[in-house]
Amino acid sequence: MSEKEMSGARSMDIPYGTLDLLILKSLETMGRLNGYALARRIEQVAGESVQLSQGAVYPALIRLQQEGWIRAELGVSETNRQVKFYSLTAAGRKQLRIEVANWEKGAALVARFLQGSAR
Amino acid sequence: MTIRRLLARVLAVARKRAHDHELENEIAAHLEMAERDARESGMTAGEARRAARQRFGGIEQMKEEHRDRRGVAWLENLARDFLHGLNLLLRDPGYTAMVTGVLALGIGANVAMFSLVDALLLKPLPFADPDRIVRIWESPRPGATNSSSTLDFLDWKRMSQSLEAIAAESPVSVALTGTGDPVRLTGKAVTADYFRIFPAAAAIGRTFAPGEDEPGAAPVVVLSHSTWRTHFDSDPGILNRKAMLDGEPYRIAGVTPVDFAGGDEVQFWKPLIFTAGMRTRDFHWLSVHGRIRKGATLVEAQEELRAIHASLQSLSPAWKRDWKIVMEPLEQVLVGDGQRRSMLVSFGAVVLVLLIACANVANLVLAKGAARRNEIAIRMALGASAGRLIAQSLAESLGLVLLGGLAGLSTGWVVIRAAVPYLPASMGYQSAPAFDGRVFAFAAAVALGVSVLIGMLPFLQTLFAKSGRTGALSGKQGLGVRGASGANLGVRRAIVITEVALSLMLISGALLLFRTLFNLEGLETGIRIENVVTASIDLPPQSYPAPARAAAFYESLMERVRAIPDVEAAGLSTFLPLRWIGNGEGLLAPGLASAINVRFKRVDPGYFSTMGIPLRGGRGFTDRDHAAAPGVVVINDALAAHLGEAAGWTNVLGQSARLTTPRYTDRKGDLREVEIVGVIRSERTAGPGRPDPLVVYVPLAQAPSPGVELLVRARPGAATVLPAVRAALRQVDPLLPLGKTMTMEEVRDTNLSGVRRPAWLIGVFAGVAALLASVGLFGVLSQVVFLRRREIGIRMALGARPRQVVSGVLRSAMAMVAYGLGLGLAGAAALSSVMKNLIFGVSALDPAGLAAACGAMAFIGLAAGSLPALRAARVDPVTTLREE
Repeated sequence: MSEKEMSGARSMDIPYGTLDLLILKSLETMGRLNGYALARRIEQVAGESVQLSQGAVYPALIRLQQEGWIRAELGVSETNRQVKFYSLTAAGRKQLRIEVANWEKGAALVARFLQGSAR
Repeated sequence: MTIRRLLARVLAVARKRAHDHELENEIAAHLEMAERDARESGMTAGEARRAARQRFGGIEQMKEEHRDRRGVAWLENLARDFLHGLNLLLRDPGYTAMVTGVLALGIGANVAMFSLVDALLLKPLPFADPDRIVRIWESPRPGATNSSSTLDFLDWKRMSQSLEAIAAESPVSVALTGTGDPVRLTGKAVTADYFRIFPAAAAIGRTFAPGEDEPGAAPVVVLSHSTWRTHFDSDPGILNRKAMLDGEPYRIAGVTPVDFAGGDEVQFWKPLIFTAGMRTRDFHWLSVHGRIRKGATLVEAQEELRAIHASLQSLSPAWKRDWKIVMEPLEQVLVGDGQRRSMLVSFGAVVLVLLIACANVANLVLAKGAARRNEIAIRMALGASAGRLIAQSLAESLGLVLLGGLAGLSTGWVVIRAAVPYLPASMGYQSAPAFDGRVFAFAAAVALGVSVLIGMLPFLQTLFAKSGRTGALSGKQGLGVRGASGANLGVRRAIVITEVALSLMLISGALLLFRTLFNLEGLETGIRIENVVTASIDLPPQSYPAPARAAAFYESLMERVRAIPDVEAAGLSTFLPLRWIGNGEGLLAPGLASAINVRFKRVDPGYFSTMGIPLRGGRGFTDRDHAAAPGVVVINDALAAHLGEAAGWTNVLGQSARLTTPRYTDRKGDLREVEIVGVIRSERTAGPGRPDPLVVYVPLAQAPSPGVELLVRARPGAATVLPAVRAALRQVDPLLPLGKTMTMEEVRDTNLSGVRRPAWLIGVFAGVAALLASVGLFGVLSQVVFLRRREIGIRMALGARPRQVVSGVLRSAMAMVAYGLGLGLAGAAALSSVMKNLIFGVSALDPAGLAAACGAMAFIGLAAGSLPALRAARVDPVTTLREE
């Protein structure tokens, strides 16, 4: 992957809906994370298949905060800086379950179509 | 988007700086941690930093995305533009002050005028279902109205099905004693249904109950709120007290609410009880109102009343047979056509002032906006949408408009508060003008309209001057490029020309009204007005039960009054001079086919000489025309002429006739034989310019009335004689208070107030308009001089003398004024049909007035142009030519 490709890639490669889901799921699994840790986790789990600028999480995070699905608390980072730590709220947990259900339904639908046309 | 998110986004706009700061922090922390991880995995510091940034992605893009996602973009833009606009205003306080002042004047005047129009013309009456309230009267001739008689009223009450309530009222005046000095109160005697027609939730106690107007009912009275406050000290225990009216105790039933308007300064209501003597059909003294019941229409009620009236015809006296009956909604009756017209004209005038004010503000804004045209042109060339630029334009002027709108509202409020005391006292049943919700809505609408107009201007000015767009971009700030400055200036010139035209229309209108006022004031009143004071006297029936007692009272009083050293002459009359004679009676004379309706005025022997009314023939009244003597009358020359024509009389003096004459207190008239002993020059009692009515004068001694007006002429230069008159009255009857006093000048002026007020109002507007027009002219000319200073510099360098430069500028000014005058004259001609009905004694297109108005505007044009002209003359060619 060339430098140019990587720096040019933005989170448009991942639709917002999906990014929300990834963030919520990561927070559910890992508990409290700061912005950097969150971005790293998504990178790790998604692997090399996805081009994600780390900075893209921040607009998503502010949106999730505004919807009330995650909350931000101040904490101290590993580099001794004050930084925000995010965690799921109860509403967030509920939203995660809804999104997962939607995702699975959508996937199943597409899978059926694909099976059907393949025959 | 959920509501929660929406609210959070709006909040984020307010917390913009905090959010940006936090984000910076997060980004810094993120990069730090990324760098550290990268170093741990073996990179050098420099490599680590680069790698961290790469993996982060575009920082500025992300920040922008963050901002877009978290806030509401248009709101942020609006806030930013608005604050920018405010900033611009603060930096140029002179401009801000001028625009605010002009808007305040324009909007404020309109708001005040609207509140007046609203209160008097537009608002429904402050009663429940006001459109069901009607006024009923008898009409001797089309257009004339007369009061009603007792029996007619009672019959209508008994027989009408479509009216759910009908009440009669009569003005009454009593002496209130027992609360300090005796005081005269004016009020109404009303039948019990009155408060069903004009419902009022009593502030204390109640209004009348049915049956309280029956003979034998215990006397009760309802007080007005101001009477309770002034004469009873707002006593909360008022219901336990009695009011001594004309020596009789009245139980106080209640107090009306503070905003209850019952008519002209009504201080109390007492029940109107019809005694046997009042139950006649030939004496007319009652005002009748009704309320149409739900389910019936006005037309049905009118038809029914006409049918009832027709069925009663046979019972009416012969001379009334032709009379018609009229029922009209009260709302239409209250404001006469003349008053309505003059108010609408005044309102039109004030709208013109607003337009001129807006034009001025537009000019100022355009001048300021000229500097921004470059910026707008560049942005449009780069692809900014028209919508975005309009939004910015509007948002920036929002600050100015809010300021001006607020100033306008406050000015309007102040004007309304200040003007209310000077408005006609007899606002009657309507509420007083006030700054209420409707007025506020109007003010807001006006401010909004003005603001959109002004806000769009800077933007429109670039949009429509196509050449201006490229012209602005091609460099010099409109100095050498004719297209750019020409377009801008053309619009400004057009605006100023319009201002001049509108000002001309206002000035000529004001001049017309003032001349009318002058003409009316100079009209021969036919009587002596100087040094005459009037006072009303009402004899309470309890103390003066018989006419003979009243006659004796008058004689005693007049003797004492005439004995006062400073008094030249004194007289008594049942109606004030110059006032309409409300008493109509029937006159039967040989040669006349039927009885004619004449005005009936009772006077004492001193009346004619006190008022300086000349005798045309015969004699006036003397002391020998007393009750036992043969009945005599004096007629006015209008009646004499009528008798000559209609009855073929060659000589009126010495002729006999029969005249219905009201009795002392009974509402019954007797037909008496009278001899015509004198003819006087007609008094003017109808409005100015209207024909004199036919009047019969009867000696007070032969037909005493319990209520009279005392007229006293003092020696020129004497101090007021009123205290001496009061003393004289106290000597005759210590318990009798003097009623309303006015000088004859005041009486005459109240007749003219219908013209005086609009004249002054429009005069003020014209002054304001002229001022605004001159400011506009000044502004435009200054800009012309500024823009053309290079040209002027060149001219002067080529040898033009300052005097020629000055005259050039002045010629420019006068050219604009001339166009404006032309336009204004056309406008004045168009409006002449409207003005025609308001003026008297002068033509709507009066050349002298128009010439004066043109002269005034020309002078203003010269004055406004003089300063810019002088500035032009001082242009230094060397400096301007060096400017580049």
